[in-house]
Amino acid sequence: MQKKEKKQIGKEIITTSEVTKSFGRFQALKGITAKVYEQEVVVVLGPSGSGKSTFIRTLNRLEPHDSGTIIVDGVELNDDVKNLQYVRSNVGMVFQQFNLFPHLSVLRNITVGPQKVRGLKRGDAEDIAMELLNRVGIPEQASKFPSQLSGGQQQRLAIARALAMQPKIMLFDEPTSALDPEMIKEVLEVMTELAESGMTMICVTHEMGFAKEVADRFLFFDEGLIVEEGTPEHFFTNPQEERTKLFLSQIL
Amino acid sequence: MQNFYKWGFETFFGSVFNTIITLLSLIILFFFINSILGFISTSEWKVVEVNRRLLLIGRMPPEHEYRVWPILWVASYLIMASIKTWGSPSYRDLLFIALGITIVCVIFTTSSTYLWVLTSLLICIFSYVITSFIGKSTTANNKNKKILILLWILLLPIIFTILLIGDGPKPTLWGGFLLNIILACIAIGFGFPLGILFAIGRASTLPAIKIVCTIYIETIRGAPLVAWLLLAWFVLPKFLPQFWGINEVSVVVRAMIILSAFTSAYTAEVIRGGLQSIPKGQIEAADSLNLGYANKMVLIVLPQAIRVVIPALISTFIGVFKDTSLVFILALTDLLQVGRIIPEQDPEFFGRQLEALCVVAFLFWIISISLSNLSKKVEKSLGIGIR
Repeated sequence: MQKKEKKQIGKEIITTSEVTKSFGRFQALKGITAKVYEQEVVVVLGPSGSGKSTFIRTLNRLEPHDSGTIIVDGVELNDDVKNLQYVRSNVGMVFQQFNLFPHLSVLRNITVGPQKVRGLKRGDAEDIAMELLNRVGIPEQASKFPSQLSGGQQQRLAIARALAMQPKIMLFDEPTSALDPEMIKEVLEVMTELAESGMTMICVTHEMGFAKEVADRFLFFDEGLIVEEGTPEHFFTNPQEERTKLFLSQIL
Repeated sequence: MQNFYKWGFETFFGSVFNTIITLLSLIILFFFINSILGFISTSEWKVVEVNRRLLLIGRMPPEHEYRVWPILWVASYLIMASIKTWGSPSYRDLLFIALGITIVCVIFTTSSTYLWVLTSLLICIFSYVITSFIGKSTTANNKNKKILILLWILLLPIIFTILLIGDGPKPTLWGGFLLNIILACIAIGFGFPLGILFAIGRASTLPAIKIVCTIYIETIRGAPLVAWLLLAWFVLPKFLPQFWGINEVSVVVRAMIILSAFTSAYTAEVIRGGLQSIPKGQIEAADSLNLGYANKMVLIVLPQAIRVVIPALISTFIGVFKDTSLVFILALTDLLQVGRIIPEQDPEFFGRQLEALCVVAFLFWIISISLSNLSKKVEKSLGIGIR
């Protein structure tokens, strides 16, 4: 196995403590305390219904948490709209179902954020968009509509759209789960490149090959709690908890 | 040929049941055609010929008639330019448009007005030609689109200026088809944007806004339009503030207010249906880009929501257009009212209601069918990016 270079891990950028979240009577998060450092790639694992998606969705307040604190880049997430806007403009997100805007062209999907939120001129935003389309490898699709792209291309476009906001942190919510197997690789390649460029990333994924190669740290979720965390080596060679062992034996 | 006869025989007389159906259809068809032929052979179209002016502009004094022509010209230019710019009409479409215009012209051209009508026709052709010329360059075309949209927005103010400037006739004297069209434009022009706001309001998470919008929509929809018009006739003046003579506003303005309110309530419900069809992921994506509420609504949610409901929306608009004939309750003489009155007022035309009403129906139909075609075109042109 190719050993990746030791990366410089920076200071804390996300700090959560005792975060809880309930949907009606179902408690999805039962007190999550975790830290993420600058330039770190954290992979979140766990069986379905374990709260891993809910957790990363609380990080940009798509799901407001019930109690506990979440601090992103020094700003606490609460009802304060200013804080929320700061966090959202610094945290990009990629969804399982892509959630591209079907009525806008590929280029416009990317430029809408920079133009409306960052206040860029149309020409500048389009330059950035073309640069990003090049980076994710679909510059020739710029004038098409999302529905005309393949699944893999759509997800790469979604990544480009999030990157156009120049986020400090990227959240990936099962980015390859809705894709056909032959398209997973092209998306993972983009994500690997992004990780190597030093982006802080939190990924919910079941792609163990990718996780092994790119992740600095694993968080293992079960029933709304972090059961175990550690480096990939620790997980694959020496998992401590029974539930982690069971999960890994099923997935590998 | 042999096959054709065989096919025909089997289809129409293949079984006892088919034979009965065929015979019944033939009998019904015979009576139907017979009565139509009877009507055509005995019909007397003089009632329409003499009263053309009344049907088109109602009781507007003849000395103000000239005001109508510039309106027709502006509208001709706008409509043809827009058809060319956005509609990309085929030859068949153009043939139908030409046919419709010709029929309307034939019905309504008199010896004193043929020059004005001719001008309008020339403007149509000129507009079409110049727009196809502009359409050759993309930048010019985009600029032209912006100008056209601006003109459409300015159309109502232009119409009112032309009708009112320099001691124009009182709005209560507006009538005929002109009144229907003005009322429909106002009702749709104000009702549609208002409807969007009420739809968003009703879908809002803020309870105060939600309750207000819901009460408004349900109240307006809860009573028939006739009741609201009567209310405007008797009660509205008492509710309006006393200054500037607002409480004495013309019945035409009252009709406009009521029709706009009515349209907005119905439009709001149609659009709300569209809002509900937007996947949650779209909103989450907009939120994750930090687009903000206004941008999220205007750029992401509304364009998709409105596209979904275009057929229902246009059908609401067609309904509103036909509902404008209810303003006869406010003693206004709209097209339908004129069509009903003229045979009664002149003994010469006694018993000629059917001819008058046929023309009335035809005019309503022309506008409705155009709106319905517009809906098809808009759907098609917006369908590009849909999943």
